Amino acid sequence: MKHLQLPLSRADIDGLEVGEMVTLSGQATMSIGLPTHQRMVEHLDAGTPLPVDLKDGAFFHLSCFNRESADGESHEALYLNPTTSTRYNAFMPRLIEGCGLRLVGGKGGLDHASVEAMQRQGCAYLSFLGGGCTLLSQAIQRVVAVHWTDYIAQFRLLTLELSELGPATVAIDAHGNSVYERLHEQAKQRLQSLRDGRAA
Amino acid sequence: MAITSEQITQLTADLYEWSLKKVPDDTKAALAAAAPRESDDTGRKTLRIMLKSADAAESTGGLVCSDVGIPTYSIKIGTRVSFDGPVRQAIVDGFARMAARSDPPILKMVTNPLTHQRSHAGKDMPIVTFDVIDEADYVDITCAPKAMGTGRWEALETFVYPTHQQIEDYVLDVVLRSGSQACPPIVVGVGIGGTFDHAARIAKEAVLRPFGQVNPEPVLAGMEQRLLQAINTLGFGPMGTGGDTTAMAVHINYSASHGFVPVAVSLNCWINRRTRARIHADGRVERIE
Repeated sequence: MKHLQLPLSRADIDGLEVGEMVTLSGQATMSIGLPTHQRMVEHLDAGTPLPVDLKDGAFFHLSCFNRESADGESHEALYLNPTTSTRYNAFMPRLIEGCGLRLVGGKGGLDHASVEAMQRQGCAYLSFLGGGCTLLSQAIQRVVAVHWTDYIAQFRLLTLELSELGPATVAIDAHGNSVYERLHEQAKQRLQSLRDGRAA
Repeated sequence: MAITSEQITQLTADLYEWSLKKVPDDTKAALAAAAPRESDDTGRKTLRIMLKSADAAESTGGLVCSDVGIPTYSIKIGTRVSFDGPVRQAIVDGFARMAARSDPPILKMVTNPLTHQRSHAGKDMPIVTFDVIDEADYVDITCAPKAMGTGRWEALETFVYPTHQQIEDYVLDVVLRSGSQACPPIVVGVGIGGTFDHAARIAKEAVLRPFGQVNPEPVLAGMEQRLLQAINTLGFGPMGTGGDTTAMAVHINYSASHGFVPVAVSLNCWINRRTRARIHADGRVERIE
């Protein structure tokens, strides 16, 4: 099991291969809001800095319950858990390269345009356990920042300090290898073989 | 003795909460049995992490998944019971009670499809189906919150005089499309026949069937076996990162239909949310799973 410490260099990411399991520590930013992704892209397009600098960092599709204190001064993160990343396919290539991301992740993967963007940028995709809520939440150390509080909890741009988050599987590496593309192609072929076998 | 609205409210709240915090025993057993058989190293490790996650949620009262979905209830009312107040409203209240009291608090997942606003409640929430059981003196309630991981990929198509092969091909195409995204190993429920809405309903009932029962229809028992084997040949594996444990079970229901035959495919992810209990006419509450 490899341990990753954020922020990460291009060389760190180039050293990752699909199928490897990793844990992760450091500051990572997350959101599962489609409007959040939209707003992030609008910032990039307008040349307006995002409220958090994601260069060499991680942006994950992790939903998180973050509770505001009564005075609104502080936040507490109670749990986190991944959601299906393909929902954000349309936004991710722009965000990966525009933000200079080294890690993205959630569950279920990203499409080919993202795989290409990740290869150009030097970025890997981590598959977290869907249904890993209580287990993964043990990694939460503290809330570093909560931005865009006009959104509901899981749509905010949330940065957490994490310790040993995982294990997660490297499912897309920075060399253009995607477990999801490989498995989908393989499944299609195997299904065709089953059908051919039946017809024979 | 009448069943009270409060009993229904309390039980629907409890069933929802239980389903979020405990993976059914048969499902944990299936994951545990699959681990030593799994040929892919990452897949085998992932199955073990799933079991660890289930145990962590159960032992600490935490959530298994943060996507608490939208609650769906199937209510079967024995014709020998009576009620002392509203039933539909009692279920709505149960849903609200769960959302208000939940510890840890649940995220807002119920979404208005027109405005995309999220909430803990919403029009026609929770989704409830009612049926009657002749002569029974109890009310049987099943809760199965439906989240996006699998809810996104469920499908229905209407065929005209389909062959068994066409039906199986359709099920496999749905599974191929959901691929790595439905948090495998999945449970696949298939509903064949009836009408558009009925096929979906019996597919959902099929997905909630406990593991290990052999379909009493030999034709369907064979189809279940073939489909399970074919799905596990596809290679998506646990969490869709590779392996030969892509499905834990395939369950099929059928109903008579016209020459047009709807075929519905319902899916559950590896946490396989389902809880079930009965309120007996004497007031006794029996938790079934």
